[in-house]
Amino acid sequence: MTIDVTAYVDDRPEEGIFRVNRAIFTDEQVFEAEMARIFEGGWVFLGLAAQVPAPHDFFTTFAGRVPIMVQRDGAGALRAFVNSCPHKGARLAQTQSGNARLHVCPYHSWSFDSAGRSKAVKWQKAGCYSAAFDQQDHGLAAMPRFENYRGFLFGSLSANVPPLADYLGEAAKLLDLVADQSEDGVELVPGQVTFTYQANWKLQLENCSDAYHFTSAHPSYIRVLERRQQEASGEVVASVWENSDYWKEETKGVGGGSYSFPNGHVLNWGVFGITPAIPLYESAAVLAERHGEGKRDWMFNMRNLTIFPNLQVAENASSQLRVIRPLGPGLTEMRTWCIAPVGESAAARRQRIRQYEDFFNPTGMATPDDTVSYENCQIGYAGTVDPWLQGYARGMTASVAGGNRFSDRIGMNPARSVLADSQLCDETLYHAYYRAWVARMEGAA
Amino acid sequence: MATLTRAEAEELLFREALLIDTQRYAEWLAMFTPDIEFWMPAWRNETETTADPDRELSLIYYKGRRNLEDRVMRLTSGLSTASTPPPRVVHAISNVLVTAAQGETADISAVFTCHRFDVRMNRAECFFGRYEYHLRHEDGDWRIAAKKIILLNDVIPTVVDVTSI
Repeated sequence: MTIDVTAYVDDRPEEGIFRVNRAIFTDEQVFEAEMARIFEGGWVFLGLAAQVPAPHDFFTTFAGRVPIMVQRDGAGALRAFVNSCPHKGARLAQTQSGNARLHVCPYHSWSFDSAGRSKAVKWQKAGCYSAAFDQQDHGLAAMPRFENYRGFLFGSLSANVPPLADYLGEAAKLLDLVADQSEDGVELVPGQVTFTYQANWKLQLENCSDAYHFTSAHPSYIRVLERRQQEASGEVVASVWENSDYWKEETKGVGGGSYSFPNGHVLNWGVFGITPAIPLYESAAVLAERHGEGKRDWMFNMRNLTIFPNLQVAENASSQLRVIRPLGPGLTEMRTWCIAPVGESAAARRQRIRQYEDFFNPTGMATPDDTVSYENCQIGYAGTVDPWLQGYARGMTASVAGGNRFSDRIGMNPARSVLADSQLCDETLYHAYYRAWVARMEGAA
Repeated sequence: MATLTRAEAEELLFREALLIDTQRYAEWLAMFTPDIEFWMPAWRNETETTADPDRELSLIYYKGRRNLEDRVMRLTSGLSTASTPPPRVVHAISNVLVTAAQGETADISAVFTCHRFDVRMNRAECFFGRYEYHLRHEDGDWRIAAKKIILLNDVIPTVVDVTSI
């Protein structure tokens, strides 16, 4: 099946035009092609090595529609397998995570060790199998590609992909800003939160990078922040937002901006400053010593990072790791965790958790106003009188090739960048998503 | 004073449910002590909820009625797309037990189902789980000093607010 990408993305930079067709969010054939070519045909984020610290630990996830198991073997090596018994196809590991020297299929008891090798085919000798069967490998199917970048684990169901380092490119330096917050790396705070929304997965992709919506979609939250600021007391949940003003419309001067990278990775960012409202504050001095002031200051910037297509690390009100799992053109599952530096103080961890719940949870005060807006978009996409959306034009004349003085501070070379005041709210960073989307739909690895 | 009876416990839980279901939020908030712990843990894995709110994530954790006042302010502000128009909810509470009662304090356990009709998306959902309450007799009435909500179906369909648990 071939997708005519020009029907969905109208990219004419020389004419100052970039438009996306509403059908890209609703079309069943587009969704099928996205699953095959993007989620099941290239690098996707699987999880953190910190989720499987001990020998024989495993966790389960999905690459597109394919169930995946990431397992550490007895010697400590990590591998990723299709979480499916080669016998009848049954899902093998049934839980989100666990520890197993041996996986025994609950259907017919075929068994596999923690390196994915077949241990036993039940009653094989009595089974009157052909020689051809006996010569076959009965182990688990490994993901064709699997790599670990500083504890961030990625896999690909297609072997025909560039090395992970090439795929991440300069955006890897933004993962470094997460990984380097502690000498012992990062971990997921216990307690996973999963939610769904009835809209397309690319709405989550865009919203994470969307500075334009904050004061429009979250005025009720901003009202709460104002109330807390006026009545500051020990018992309220302190948020970094009320201690920062880069996002307020009256703020003047450069307060942040965006970077985009090849393969669809993007960042939008803003200056929070080195403030006690950020749980990392206790490490501000030691991080500057260890990594230099430039990199330390970047760790304290508001940062919303997308590693295309399914990983987002949002460091704003708190620190969130999100994995996007499309379930259909109009249904998406989000698995979310609080990501935190290993070894931070109990007080910092508590502050991080409180800020997280308040802002990020689907049971909190901000995320629902985003996801409900996605659902409103999904309903609105049926309006095809003019199918071309106008949401990709802000920042067109501010976007420049290469980096700027801020990316220079960590020696990072993005493909494009925008420096912004509080009202610019660049939309050109989405272009990177859709240019990667076009390339992948046309068959690029 | 007399210890809390099951009838009194039921009366309190049913009244709280009615106040939420009929959006009488000021009266609902008045049922809480100023230092209330309002807690809905997340799930650590398939079988255990998180247990330490300072070291593990919760779906909701607030210490202090002041934070719940913020939630109600947001819900009723007209400024939250997710809360406007408000969903229609009804709580059904059952299996009420007084698990401990000593003078001016008491613990209650109960189960709940909350049916929510989201008028915006024309969809009905049901949330269910268990409650654990700690009550204190203050200012002439039994008040809620701690409310723990164990939500059993924790894959959240878009949004779950304090009114649908």
